[in-house]
Amino acid sequence: MRTYEEINEKIKRGDVVVMTAEEVIKVVESQGLESATKEVDVVTTGTFGAMCSSGAFLNFGHSEPPIKMQKVWLNDVPAYTGLAAVDAYIGATELKENGDLDYGGAHVIEELIAGKPVHLRATAYGTDCYPRRSIDTYISLKTINQAYLFNPRNAYQNYAVATNSSDTTLFTYMGKLLPNYGNATYSSSGQLSPLLKDPCCRTIGIGSRIFIGGAKGFVAWEGTQYNTAVPTRNGVPTRAARTLAVIGDMKEMSTEFVRALYFHRYGVSLAVGIGVPIPILDSEVMKYASLSDKELFAPVLDYSLQSRSRNPLKEVSYAELRSGFIELYGKKVKTSSLSSYYKARIIAEKLKTMIEEGEFLLTRPVHGLPSERAFKPLDIRSKEEV
Amino acid sequence: MTLVKKKFLLSFTPSIVNEPITYKMVKEFDLMVNILRAEVSERGGRLLIEVDGKPSQVSKGVGFLKSAGVEVKELNEYVNRDEDRCTHCGACLSICPADAFEIDGMSWKVSFKAAKCIACGLCIDTCPPRAMKLRIW
Ligand code: SF4
Ligand code: SF4
Repeated sequence: MRTYEEINEKIKRGDVVVMTAEEVIKVVESQGLESATKEVDVVTTGTFGAMCSSGAFLNFGHSEPPIKMQKVWLNDVPAYTGLAAVDAYIGATELKENGDLDYGGAHVIEELIAGKPVHLRATAYGTDCYPRRSIDTYISLKTINQAYLFNPRNAYQNYAVATNSSDTTLFTYMGKLLPNYGNATYSSSGQLSPLLKDPCCRTIGIGSRIFIGGAKGFVAWEGTQYNTAVPTRNGVPTRAARTLAVIGDMKEMSTEFVRALYFHRYGVSLAVGIGVPIPILDSEVMKYASLSDKELFAPVLDYSLQSRSRNPLKEVSYAELRSGFIELYGKKVKTSSLSSYYKARIIAEKLKTMIEEGEFLLTRPVHGLPSERAFKPLDIRSKEEV
Repeated sequence: MTLVKKKFLLSFTPSIVNEPITYKMVKEFDLMVNILRAEVSERGGRLLIEVDGKPSQVSKGVGFLKSAGVEVKELNEYVNRDEDRCTHCGACLSICPADAFEIDGMSWKVSFKAAKCIACGLCIDTCPPRAMKLRIW
């Protein structure tokens, strides 16, 4: 019914019709699926939440005399430099080397994006071609060469709702969980969430141009822990399922959409803002893109059970979660979102404006994401069993 | 006569820590005192109280405390929010026992109503971008 090329032609002509994943829900409700499919070319999505599996590749440039860095610290946070001489990867959750849990790679990334100076220290064993043994200097995004986020797992298709049945407070990556089902936390923008609105990744694939952290970036690969073997409702996974590996230039990013987080007694994480445009190729794409919070469900898990296989206590809709309360065993339990719906909406709207103004063209994926992929556990095995 | 509700941070020197000063204040000035936080160390004691009563009685009560050698500081804000760091996620919503955070169902912005705060401190380590900061204590 509609191709990527036709949509891009319309974007260039300036008469493309774009709606956010929230706006389109009402249009489909009032006009019906077919008519809405004819009218709308692109639906924009957005999410802004903690994405631990994030980090940045940096190239510092060469010093005089040159150094082949063996250990690197940025603001005392170790970065991985088992790469070429002056390349490093700073992981978002890496912690400062002083025992504190509340400053890490995510803060270094945020400070770089803010344009702040960052303290670089490196040591080396020295070689004939790289004689220098150590360096102590300052860098900023302006002084270094490449700086790009390359996040192995972002934009989880769905995620658990966390609660706590035990009688002590738990401090988790899902935030503070009060005892005796005192609260429940969730982390998805639901009806605005990229992968919930294209549940089988029909239009999202390798090479899809996306909004990441304020920049234009791309889907690079399937995300780690990509999983298709999950239960669905209304054709949409009701468990943590597909994920994206994404890439984007830090020099174009803004701290409005990249924010260091600290989860008390858990550690550091990075909130990343991601927006994905969904081309409305036909009415099937539109059907999913227009699902509302009432039709999207997440599993409630008891985080006091320290096991990888926890059975959900129940499934709840995002509409219930967003109402402020869910019901568990006859008790009203207060809910908190960890991802910002407010920011998710700003991202979807910003992406919409960029497309309307001809600044953002859609790309046809150069390759699709896996249609089937199981998520394997790690067990203790002998060499023979592997 | 309208009643007022005010918060005060009281600092006691070690020499007066053991005197029943707050008890006297409750009795003699007909005030409702709610203790929000208390701490005693070798440097003395600190008490965060919320006082309910007639405005004239509240100021008399405060006068009494001062004359008894207690340092009194009125507190308008126990915690404050760094607006630039707040991402409006809502993590604080299910934690605050006083419902001092409200989310607007239209804009999905989270507002902080300092007047409702009962100074428990729970939001401080709950807020992932660390927007909530302790002002005192
Ligand atoms: S938890 Fe912090 S960032 Fe989130 S809404 Fe509350 S104050 Fe804002
Ligand atoms: S200190 Fe306690 S009462 Fe005050 S805003 Fe924070 S959580 Fe609410």
